[in-house]
Amino acid sequence: MVGEIRRAKFIGNLLGRRREIVEQVVSEEPYKEDQEDDNDNDNDNDNDVEEIEILMKEQDTETTEARAHVINDCVSLLTAVNEKAELKSDFHRQYLDYAFQIKLPPQMTALDASQPWILYWVLNSLAMLSEDLVSDEMRRRIEEKAFAISPEGGPFGGGIGQLPHLAATYASIEALSSCANSNGSWDKIDKKSIYNWLLSVKQENGGFKTCYSVGEVDTRGVYCALSVASMLNILTDELVENTLQYLINCQNYEGGFGGCPFEDEAHGGYTFCAVASLAIMGALDKINIPKLIDWCATKQYNEEKGFCGRSNKLVDGCYSFWVGGTVAILEAYGYGEYIMNHNEMREYILRCCQDTKRPGLRDKPGKNPDFYHTNYVLAGLSVVEYTFKIDNPKDPFSISAEPRKGVPSSNITAINPVYCLPIDLVKNFANHFK
Amino acid sequence: MSGFDMNNYVDVEPLEIETGLPDEVCPIMYTDEYKQVMSVARRLMQEGEYSERALQLTSKAIALAPAFYTVWNYRYSIVEHLAKESGDVEGYMNKEMDWLDEVTLGNPKNYQIWSYRQALLKIHPAPSVKRELPILQIMIDDDTKNYHVWSYRKWCILFFQDFTNELTYADSLIQRDVYNNSAWTHRMFVMKHTNPSKHEVREEIEYTKKKIEIVPQNVSSWEYLRGLYEVFLDCEYDEETIKFAEKFTDDILKLDITVDKEVSALPNIESSYALEFLADVFAKIPSPENTNNAKKAYTALSLKYDPIRSALWNHKMGQLA
Repeated sequence: MVGEIRRAKFIGNLLGRRREIVEQVVSEEPYKEDQEDDNDNDNDNDNDVEEIEILMKEQDTETTEARAHVINDCVSLLTAVNEKAELKSDFHRQYLDYAFQIKLPPQMTALDASQPWILYWVLNSLAMLSEDLVSDEMRRRIEEKAFAISPEGGPFGGGIGQLPHLAATYASIEALSSCANSNGSWDKIDKKSIYNWLLSVKQENGGFKTCYSVGEVDTRGVYCALSVASMLNILTDELVENTLQYLINCQNYEGGFGGCPFEDEAHGGYTFCAVASLAIMGALDKINIPKLIDWCATKQYNEEKGFCGRSNKLVDGCYSFWVGGTVAILEAYGYGEYIMNHNEMREYILRCCQDTKRPGLRDKPGKNPDFYHTNYVLAGLSVVEYTFKIDNPKDPFSISAEPRKGVPSSNITAINPVYCLPIDLVKNFANHFK
Repeated sequence: MSGFDMNNYVDVEPLEIETGLPDEVCPIMYTDEYKQVMSVARRLMQEGEYSERALQLTSKAIALAPAFYTVWNYRYSIVEHLAKESGDVEGYMNKEMDWLDEVTLGNPKNYQIWSYRQALLKIHPAPSVKRELPILQIMIDDDTKNYHVWSYRKWCILFFQDFTNELTYADSLIQRDVYNNSAWTHRMFVMKHTNPSKHEVREEIEYTKKKIEIVPQNVSSWEYLRGLYEVFLDCEYDEETIKFAEKFTDDILKLDITVDKEVSALPNIESSYALEFLADVFAKIPSPENTNNAKKAYTALSLKYDPIRSALWNHKMGQLA
């Protein structure tokens, strides 16, 4: 009874929130008016605003309303040309150092089933700022936690006593690879048992289930499984049976990839997972590359400069990597350097994803920083500031990077875009298991 | 279902949920209640207890930590056992679905709910698509681009093989927000799975054009229009559709456009996506006139209408014959 009343109230709220659609024609410079309201430097903005003046017949909907706010916030930051666009490395380092000093407050209990992710995000973010920032003590503490979660050395769950999970196993192996085998931790990883478990969550249709017996089957699972398997050198034909077809079927008419092979909406995160998986399998040539390139390119907005993750959705710093990393993989495999506008992307990262008051990187202006965004925004910066090539297309660890011409440097570490880990670290790890 | 009471578990020896490491990285400061519930849940799981009190405990644990996939798995096993024991599997499963609806309404961004729902439907003796659609509609009404819900809806429609309401449903969302890309992709999902006739494809093209006329600068509707031609019509773009696209580009292809063109000399147009569409269509059909038009369109995109992608437009121009 109580439940039903609650549901009725809930539905009432939802209906109340529904908006009427208003048709309107926006004549010129649609965002300028808002902008003048809270910006003191009008003169600085005039030139930039002129670029955004495609004459639009627009409907005022949830989509346009949400985006107008974001554009407003971003444009005022992007046009603050008196402020230098630079990465505040020392500032962000403080945020990452906290991770080794603090306990997470009870409201972070939502992360209880994702603890290895925190290890990976924090360690990788530090290593991207500078590999020297990762101390032996940090490595030891990361390793201890990973092996407390799985004393057998894998597969890994989200915390102690939790079932093995593909995402947790991926994050654990990524974190351990960054520990550079201090304390011999690499030899404590149980390849055999991870391999058998991967086979047990493999699906007939070529996908992988995140967890046995109830779990999701989507391209995330494929990526986690294939990353781990390739890093540990246990990637067999049996493990990837039907997986190529599964991935091919996840590319939809838009050109990007959805989570599932039945015409799911193209999405930055699932697209990265699919494309990185195809790279690991040496099978990028089996998909429609021109459509994928167009889709990736269309995710970058002229106004905000950054990437959104789906058509007509809002810009978010994490897609600097999910889409930017996809673009970097395509570049490494020889499909060209023209897919994204690197300098504009860099402007979004440095001007909109950093705050003067709070360390750490964020989704967009108005959002709080977190470890997830810190990792993927920094990774996005790395793929913007380096250019990638591959020596042997059958070996994703042979990707190399050099500073990208015409793009300023933030002295960030070059990552291997397939694994989102520093190039040398992941190569050493893979060599160890050869 | 009776209320949850920790006193029902006093006989259970809790199993530690903390690592006990002296200098653990990022330990979570669990509340006492959380520790109590989860440590008892761990023990019951380890012992394989499939009982009504175990079920109640999982409800509590899921309320505290909805992303805790291990407990979802445990609950699934409990439900499997208890449903059989009850002698009324269908009634039992329906009760479980009611509970799940409640949890779903409170956790729109959760992953686990949807795979759990799939797992339940697979063991439900008489699953019904009618039982599924209302809750999905409520979830979409609240968050019209919720990826999990749209994806689950597709899975569900395939599971029941019932596409009857889907185009209408997607249309209602497009009417509400013509930029809703999730709703547009749902239409393609339906089209691809229902083997439409040439006539039906034509109707769908007309539908899309009407939506483009309302809002010409919309990546979703233009992508969909292209998609229809690519998937069903072998990219055979007809004159009518080319003329349609030209309506939104203010005849700019009649102008002389070269890279040194003054940006201010270019008119405002209604849709950069229309221009991109024309450029790609002209690039595909080789003739001196088409190539010239494609070149002009890419140049105009690069100069004024979509400058952030100028490298892409230049690349496409380089590939023209």
